[in-house]
Amino acid sequence: MSTTEASSSIAARRRDKRTPRRVLIADRAADLIIRVGGILVILAVFAIMAFLAQVVVPLFTGGRVVAEASFILPDKAKRFLHQTLDETHTVAVAVAEDGTVTAYHIATGARIDAPAFDFAGKRITAFAAAPVGSDIVFGFEDGTIRQGSLKFATAIVPGDQAPADAKALATGGKASADRTDGKAIFAPAPVGQIRRIAVEGALGRPQQVSPSAITAIDTRSGGTVERPTLAVVSVDREGQIRLSRVESRMNLLTRRMRTEVTSATLPVLPPGTPVVSVLMTSAADQIYVGARDGRVFRYDSRNPDRAELAEIAQPLPAGVELTVLSFLIGEQSLVVGGNNGAVDIFLRLQRAGARTTDGYALVRAHALEPHRSAVAAFGASQRGKMLITADVTGEIWLRHATSEQVVLRLPAPRGGQPYESVALAPRDDGVLAMAPGGAGRFWTVDAPHPETTWKSIFGKIWYEGFDSPSYTWQSSSGTDSFEPKLSLVPLIFGTIKATIYSLLFAVPIALLGAIYTSEFLHRRVRNTVKPVMEMMASLPSVVLGFIAALILAPVVEAWIAAVMIAFFAIPGALAAAAFLWQAIPPHAARRLEGVPKFLLFFVVLVLTVLAVIWWTPALERMFFAGDLRAWADGTAGSGVPFLIILLTPLALVAVSLVAGRTIGERVNVALRALPPFAAAGVDLARALAQFLLAVLLAYALARTFAAFGGDVRGGLVDTYVQRNTLVVGFVMGFAVIPIIYTIAEDALNSVPEHLRAASLACGATPWQTAISVILPTAMSGVFAGVMIGMGRAVGETMIVVMAAGNTPILDWNLFNGLRALSANIAVELPEAVKDGTLYRMLFLAALALFVMTFVLNTFAEIVRLRFRKRAAQL
Amino acid sequence: MTAITAHEGKAMAGAPARLRRQGVDISARGEPFLWGLGGALAFGVVMILGFLFIVFWNGATTFWPGPIDLVTLTAGERIAGEPTRSEDYRPTTSQLAELDDATRARIAARDGFATRTLYRVGNFDIYGEDFRWVSDFQVSRREQPADLALVERLEWGVFIGQIKAVTVDDKAVETATFATAHKVARQRWLRIADIERDEIGAVNHRMEQGRLEVRRAELDHGKSSPAYARIAAEVAKREQSLGIDYAKLSAEAQRLRAEAARTRLTLAEIGGKEKTIPLSAVVRLYPANALGPMDKLGVYLSRWWEFLSDEPREANTEGGVWPAIFGTFAMTLLMVIVVAPFGVITALYLREYARQGRLVTIVRISVNNLAGVPSIVYGAFGLGFFAYILGGSIDQFFYPERLPSPTFGTGGLLWSSLTLALLTVPVVIVATEEALAAVPRSMREGSLACGASKWQTILNIVLPRAMPGIMTGLILAMARGAGEVAPLMLVGVVKLAPELPIDGIFPYVHLERSFMHLGFHIYDVGFQSRNSEAGKPMVFVTTMLLIALIATMNASAIVIRNRLKRKFVGSQF
Repeated sequence: MSTTEASSSIAARRRDKRTPRRVLIADRAADLIIRVGGILVILAVFAIMAFLAQVVVPLFTGGRVVAEASFILPDKAKRFLHQTLDETHTVAVAVAEDGTVTAYHIATGARIDAPAFDFAGKRITAFAAAPVGSDIVFGFEDGTIRQGSLKFATAIVPGDQAPADAKALATGGKASADRTDGKAIFAPAPVGQIRRIAVEGALGRPQQVSPSAITAIDTRSGGTVERPTLAVVSVDREGQIRLSRVESRMNLLTRRMRTEVTSATLPVLPPGTPVVSVLMTSAADQIYVGARDGRVFRYDSRNPDRAELAEIAQPLPAGVELTVLSFLIGEQSLVVGGNNGAVDIFLRLQRAGARTTDGYALVRAHALEPHRSAVAAFGASQRGKMLITADVTGEIWLRHATSEQVVLRLPAPRGGQPYESVALAPRDDGVLAMAPGGAGRFWTVDAPHPETTWKSIFGKIWYEGFDSPSYTWQSSSGTDSFEPKLSLVPLIFGTIKATIYSLLFAVPIALLGAIYTSEFLHRRVRNTVKPVMEMMASLPSVVLGFIAALILAPVVEAWIAAVMIAFFAIPGALAAAAFLWQAIPPHAARRLEGVPKFLLFFVVLVLTVLAVIWWTPALERMFFAGDLRAWADGTAGSGVPFLIILLTPLALVAVSLVAGRTIGERVNVALRALPPFAAAGVDLARALAQFLLAVLLAYALARTFAAFGGDVRGGLVDTYVQRNTLVVGFVMGFAVIPIIYTIAEDALNSVPEHLRAASLACGATPWQTAISVILPTAMSGVFAGVMIGMGRAVGETMIVVMAAGNTPILDWNLFNGLRALSANIAVELPEAVKDGTLYRMLFLAALALFVMTFVLNTFAEIVRLRFRKRAAQL
Repeated sequence: MTAITAHEGKAMAGAPARLRRQGVDISARGEPFLWGLGGALAFGVVMILGFLFIVFWNGATTFWPGPIDLVTLTAGERIAGEPTRSEDYRPTTSQLAELDDATRARIAARDGFATRTLYRVGNFDIYGEDFRWVSDFQVSRREQPADLALVERLEWGVFIGQIKAVTVDDKAVETATFATAHKVARQRWLRIADIERDEIGAVNHRMEQGRLEVRRAELDHGKSSPAYARIAAEVAKREQSLGIDYAKLSAEAQRLRAEAARTRLTLAEIGGKEKTIPLSAVVRLYPANALGPMDKLGVYLSRWWEFLSDEPREANTEGGVWPAIFGTFAMTLLMVIVVAPFGVITALYLREYARQGRLVTIVRISVNNLAGVPSIVYGAFGLGFFAYILGGSIDQFFYPERLPSPTFGTGGLLWSSLTLALLTVPVVIVATEEALAAVPRSMREGSLACGASKWQTILNIVLPRAMPGIMTGLILAMARGAGEVAPLMLVGVVKLAPELPIDGIFPYVHLERSFMHLGFHIYDVGFQSRNSEAGKPMVFVTTMLLIALIATMNASAIVIRNRLKRKFVGSQF
């Protein structure tokens, strides 16, 4: 149709043979669009994997330094006891050894007004700041303590309310957006507003707690606004430990605070113990004293008036000096640093055989990577399990306690003195370090996922509050100090458990059904049966999940014994029916072959189910001690009867193999000589004999197994839960059976007809043909079907979300639920914060699913292609 | 079947002694194994048929009005309710201890089982429960009095009891005039709903529009610019007139509400407690035990109509599923619009343009496999890429005035459709490729030999022949897409969407809106509602609807496939 014009006029002109431009253009355009579009779609589809990987990668990269600033405080030659910084790391506060407080702008080092504390000339010998909140406490050489507070007063004000006389801050030619009026820093905040940050402080009156100088102190605050209480633990020069409770009461008439101090003394430390630090918990029930010689004294002060020394732990090797003893947030993890560079995390755990008065002992849960030299300074995160440690050379390591990884290594200062005091920003996004003499440095860091490493995701991790390392998935909880536990192992296990149990059920039904459909079913029947089976595939999985959880689960729960028995009774009944069928005269049997026989299968099925329901109470008494659920708990009956049922099929296979090898051939030959009815009878007798033998064998095996303490309960079966794997496995069958069935049936069907004909012509029965000729030929195709079915089971989501109970546990119990990777994504991703650790972990789960199914399917596809090629060659 | 039976073998045994015995080996027939194979197939067929039976039986009978039983317990208590189902159960020992000896003996004779019936007693506002189990041994008398009525209400579910009085405009009237009074009250209620949702909704929408305009001007020109001042003044003026409209509409709604409150229905539950509700809050009322078959059919059909055309009530456990049907339909349609061109173009590229070789084989295998990648993975991708990254960027560029509340930066209809398109594109590619491969080579060559260009050949010769196959692929993709729920849970399905994604407000099609979906409706009502038992009938009907929808699509795909086969068998070159 390339040329159309002028064809009507007769050969007057020569026909124009050029292709019209529009055809050419259309062709080019189509060519371009199809090529570009096709390649784009293919790329887009593959970009999914790339995208998932790109989301996941940051989980495994450590931290990085975003920016750094250095400054020199004017207070030269002073040492600093404490430093802290505000949430936006604009302002920092340093408390020097003489008690002077310095507040400064971090980026430039510019000073702003800070509270001045007046100690009346007394020398500070100890200092502590509560890890959360603003409370601080000083201990003095005369045995007094003074509590106080130090905090950032942050206010958001409209952009035009900053004082006009505030001057811009700048350092080294770089202008900062922040301004100051000497009292506060004004920093830009979102939407044109200004954040005003100032430092406020207060100091209480001296309280005498000890006759001699305080050497170590710690404090925690509590109570209400009207009645604040402060717990202070102090150690004096004599080694006397006192637990003081400072209670302030407001007089409602005069509105004046009245302060009361009550003290309790704890057992005295051994004389001459060089105390490094003292720690207390918020509930004041545990007190730890660290001594320079490496010992940690743990006091049990649940009853403050009768506190006792519970344990003297030796967390460091002999001869190593202890330099750091501190809590992480939550006060369960104890960080111990030594002068050999070791940084270890200890947990107080209940231990059988602990030689302590309260049954608890300090246990080393994590040995973090040691510094090359002595640990000099330490800082803990205010929101998680991050910590920073500095060694005497001045190197600072940003670490995570639970994952044990060093997230970031900050270099030692070039020249100058090493850092003696470090602090982690409140949002874990900055590190402040100070060297003696006021030389400070600040790093803005980005370490978004310090808690994840390959080991924390796939290995056993020791979490706070756990007796031992474990695989745990628990992504959220109500408390602040909660640490997300993100191990994929329970989820992968859940996926594998669901897959295995569902395949155990689905594969036999699908494969056996496929063989029957392909080899024994009449063509007309096949044309109706196959679409019916395939229709299963079109059932939406949400429907399957609904039926599983709300309809099937209660029924199965009520009839669990019947269901368990039916799994064994149905194959048994079919076999029994087959032996009876053999007794039918051959000519009658031949007439009933086909549809009637197929219908007979249904009859046998229905009758068996009815019989099982009818006899359930009796059978339950026989095998499950009358109550399956109590039996499964292990509270009633013995495991032997069920073990016998479980082992009988295996024993039967063994018995029939042995019988077949020894006397089978002779019996078969003898059977040929008999009339059909008699032969059927003898065959039935033989089968019965084998069955009895198998039961005996199974009984013997079960007894032996039980004699060695073996029991299926506690393993394969255990406490019954309504949403369980049995139901999931059964309903997942609806999703998996049609896939395996269709592919296997296609594979069997595509075995060339001449193989079948040749086998039958040689005298083989259809059964022999099917099992020894057709099935081996089609094996690879059948195998591919199973693999693809497995892929579907691995990724199935709604059924497991709805019917599996979603508990992330690691056990094979058929009667308990599971939490699969797919269900976990569906449940948790809508709530996960974008780019948070959980979000990326869920994408890792998605990537794992993607890779698992992709590998399974590719493998299956290659096997199938190969099978097709071979089948075509036959 | 077998060539020679044992009978004939025996007959031959009398012949020359050396002749081989030709009996048939009974074990070679493998009868027990055959029964195993056949039994497995039968089990599979029973599974699917049983499943469909459960769904369709429960779904089809849900709306049929059943009788209401008045049950008098041995303890003297009277219960009125619709029997829903009965089952055998084992009474606990404490329950057994309270029974008399004769009953105990009867239960013991049944291996410790007793029968109980679940009654839907309704009246949740009075009883605090919708359903109640009654064991057979508790019952002293069962009857079905004609004066018991079942009232479906807008709130608190059904009421079962007697009608005491009907009040129209504060005047008591005959209960016989109920039907007309109810019609009037319902009409009024519809009018109120119309005003409150559509008309006031439109006013609110325009007010919001004005606020966004001002914000936009602030972002574009700054707060101190003259353009900003001009727009702000303009919007303020508009807002004033809208405020008047609003006041007028809400006064009208107020008036109608007051009017509605004067028409009431007084009901009494079986224990005698009375309850007065506005007549407009009654959806349907019928005397359950006095209905003839035609009346029952009328109630049945009217419930179906309500189900298909109305909006859900009572946390989705009552009312209709129209928004969910609409959402499913809109999402599937949008998905097909996206998936059809891309799927076909890719298949054309793979089959007609790309050089067939190892690379294309690999691509083909991979595309095939992508159909087996779990849908939830696509959901995660859709959320992370489409909603957060693409949608986030669109918000930055086009809707900065609405930030920080996301417009496209969260799940919605568009992203759901795109996610499902990605999920189903392998299905379309595979089906189209097969259809293209089925077009005989000779036809292409004939066309090219006649001088047609490649594109002309594809357009006029190849595609028309392949069209049925492509349609099959598209329908299969639709069926898969309509049944998927897991990815949608991440990218835009909600339990209750206040607005349909298509409505009368410009730009009419709101691709950013979240929507309702039949599949998610099943999940939500079955698992998230206050009382899963109360929602169960609804879930069954929704399930039936969804399965019917998908089965219809699949069936049409099969029909098309068969027609295609026939066509090609007939017209083979």
